[in-house]
Amino acid sequence: MEKMSEDRYLTFALGKGRLANKTMELFEKIGVTCEEMKDKDSRKLIFVNEDLKFRFFLAKGPDVPTYVEYGAADIGVVGKDTIMEENRRVYEVLDLKYGKCRMCVCGPKSAEELLKHHEMIRVASKYPNIAKDYFYNRKHQTVDIIKLNGSVELGPIVKLADVIVDIVETGSTLRENGLEVLEEICPLSARMIVNQVSMQMEPERIKRLITDLRAHL
Amino acid sequence: MSSHLLHTPEGVRDIYGEEKAKKTAVERLLRQKIESYGYRDIQTPTFEFFDVFSKEVGTTPSRELYKFFDKEGNTLVLRPDFTPSIARCAAKYFMDEDVPIRFCYQGNTFTNTSLLQGKLKEVTQMGAELIGDASVQADAEMIAMTIEALYHAGLSDFQISVGNLEYFKGICAEAGLSEETELELREYISGKNFFGAEELLDSAGVERRDRELLLKVSELFGTAAILDEAKRAVTNERSRNAVKRLEKVYEALCEYGVEKYVSFDLGMLSKYNYYTGIIFKGYTYGVGDAIVKGGRYDSLLGRFGKDAPAIGFMIVVDDLLAAMNRQGVAVEGEEACLRLYYGEKDFHDKLAEARELRAAGKRVELLPKQ
Repeated sequence: MEKMSEDRYLTFALGKGRLANKTMELFEKIGVTCEEMKDKDSRKLIFVNEDLKFRFFLAKGPDVPTYVEYGAADIGVVGKDTIMEENRRVYEVLDLKYGKCRMCVCGPKSAEELLKHHEMIRVASKYPNIAKDYFYNRKHQTVDIIKLNGSVELGPIVKLADVIVDIVETGSTLRENGLEVLEEICPLSARMIVNQVSMQMEPERIKRLITDLRAHL
Repeated sequence: MSSHLLHTPEGVRDIYGEEKAKKTAVERLLRQKIESYGYRDIQTPTFEFFDVFSKEVGTTPSRELYKFFDKEGNTLVLRPDFTPSIARCAAKYFMDEDVPIRFCYQGNTFTNTSLLQGKLKEVTQMGAELIGDASVQADAEMIAMTIEALYHAGLSDFQISVGNLEYFKGICAEAGLSEETELELREYISGKNFFGAEELLDSAGVERRDRELLLKVSELFGTAAILDEAKRAVTNERSRNAVKRLEKVYEALCEYGVEKYVSFDLGMLSKYNYYTGIIFKGYTYGVGDAIVKGGRYDSLLGRFGKDAPAIGFMIVVDDLLAAMNRQGVAVEGEEACLRLYYGEKDFHDKLAEARELRAAGKRVELLPKQ
């Protein structure tokens, strides 16, 4: 009975944008570099570090857990909000502590009263699963959830919804639109997730990576 | 013609042609190996009373079961897996038996989950159960048989990860965790979510030493060397015995010569409530989840009135095939089929030829000449 799997690439899926940049900065600290990725004009989709046998690609945030669940990527870096919303079967191994913000229930001050009772309200959100879990399982309040895809703050302003569930960083967009944080659902930050199979097939390599990263957080 | 008649509902599909031939071939190979260990086939109904699969027996959450009613108003369930059915059968027909009984089975199972996009709702499972044997040898037989069956089917790059629930339970008991905290912690640790576990233990006010220990469980996975580390980490009897058991199982697996496929994971804690001691999962590239799940369920038969230890495993055949396909593992499908063409006059001769070939075990398709 022979085994193969030496020299296999470890593939990383990184959420596009600031998160990916921060992640590469952190990886550089532990000696994982990818020069190819720094070339802004490159049209490549996959970046390789041949020495370490690491491959990187950028993906839209909500797709990262999907790539990792199906093993198209071994490891992913993505916001906690995405992990909660997507609810994929992956190992969530590390809190990278950057990209910090909060998941909150927001609305006009007048809506505060609505959250104190169990009456039916309308909630608009880009995160229907998180909103549903919060109101049903933690607040035990029956709500009507409306999925929106952007500018969720509009919801209460144009009376589409009573409150919204959304990510709050500084709260300035809220304030400019006469809204405020009414309740905090949970803190958020960037997380590293690992495919279950990869973790079992390559425990030493992945464990070493986690230990190194943890030492630099 | 109405095209909607051609579609199948989401989560179920047709399997035909070459693919079905491969599936049948893989099933045959798996079965050969299992039967060579003396396991006998058993068939249980596709649907049973709800109580067989209820929360107390602990397989699949109620909302993921396909439920319907019979004429008398009983709630019936399409089986989400086989183990409870087999346990029921064993308790019913082998109540007074003391010698170990060996069953194997194959069939489709049904789970109504919409959450896991891309996952089938109807999958074929094949598995085996060894009832009435609590020994280390029984544990090893199950794991070794799993490995040999997968290898026999053509898979060569896979790992069977073995854990023991008693290890974690021993530490929880020592730390005096409430049942609620333990359940939540189980979730975090089986998700290798170190910091989630950390937060939970902080808020539960667990003592420093126990806290470190519980957190360590999520990191105790890897080769057999991890067992030493696991043993050194604990002082309580229950956890130490759990590691000793794993060491003995490993020794036996070495006797089988399959140790290179075995790794250990003490943080493996199944969501199935019925597992009691040894627990294992099989992983391979190409599918995101374990293709094999198994373990010891010493208290499950008691629910059906027969106190007997038992251990079993099941292979998700569809996932195994998907993995083999993605890894480019060749599966020998069916033997090629001969074609004989008959005209208006020679039907008699062609038929005789076809019959002769068929009698000799060949596959022959008889067709009219165009």
